[in-house]
Amino acid sequence: MNADGREILVREVHIEASPEIVFEFFVDADKLTRWLATEATLDPRPGGACVQVHGGSDDGRHGPVHMQGTFLEVDPPTRVVFSWGFVEPECGVLPASSTVEVVLQPEGSGTRLRLTHRGLPPSAIEDHRRGWKQMLDRLQQATTPTTVRPTGGRRSRCPTTGPPS
Amino acid sequence: MQVVLEAVVEPRRREILRLVRSEELPAGAIAAHFPDVSRPTISEHLRVLRTAGLIAERREGTRRLYRTVPGGFREVRAFLEEFWDDQLELLKIEAEREQQAHDRGGR
Repeated sequence: MNADGREILVREVHIEASPEIVFEFFVDADKLTRWLATEATLDPRPGGACVQVHGGSDDGRHGPVHMQGTFLEVDPPTRVVFSWGFVEPECGVLPASSTVEVVLQPEGSGTRLRLTHRGLPPSAIEDHRRGWKQMLDRLQQATTPTTVRPTGGRRSRCPTTGPPS
Repeated sequence: MQVVLEAVVEPRRREILRLVRSEELPAGAIAAHFPDVSRPTISEHLRVLRTAGLIAERREGTRRLYRTVPGGFREVRAFLEEFWDDQLELLKIEAEREQQAHDRGGR
């Protein structure tokens, strides 16, 4: 947990692509909608809009949710920071309440991506973070890759969104 | 803590947690979401989740109803962890595909 009681979530992944190419997937709407959102309006400069629609579930029980962020730092091809939060309060992360920092560094013939999500609401399972990550890593190693479906289906994009009223 | 980790590390148990997050469901309705899983196995998943304190069971006549224990922000965090894991895996696939297209283009 952070000094202010807000939480940090860190994820790292190696991608066999150059930092320049990976960076585009955060600032180009056509590319961002290939992995993160179903719709996006991006103005990648400090203060510019970073607005995304995340699709609802396949069964229609969950509607789409709206991520209303702002680019805070844009330093191609190594670093981009944007605020992160949803218009829908039931998502639990309000607009401007959290930030996502992405750092890209050359690693071998590819890129080491480090994503740091800061400012998350305090949770009761702070001490579980490390163990949980390790368990999931082991799970990942133990299972063969399954088919990855495109963004926008499969499940609710927000933890507690109820059926559309 | 170990109990919670073991409960959520099983993908179907995470799926059950999502199912009963926004609505209370009877065991039968939960089982119906997993046509390839036997009913006793679903019952065992529910038992593990209940033991870990992640879902609550309520009896209504002969039915047993399940719902995620209101854990407040714990759910948000768990959701976001899984969200970023899933999305970054997709990003990896798409960016590597883009790199390959780029390389083939000879630019």
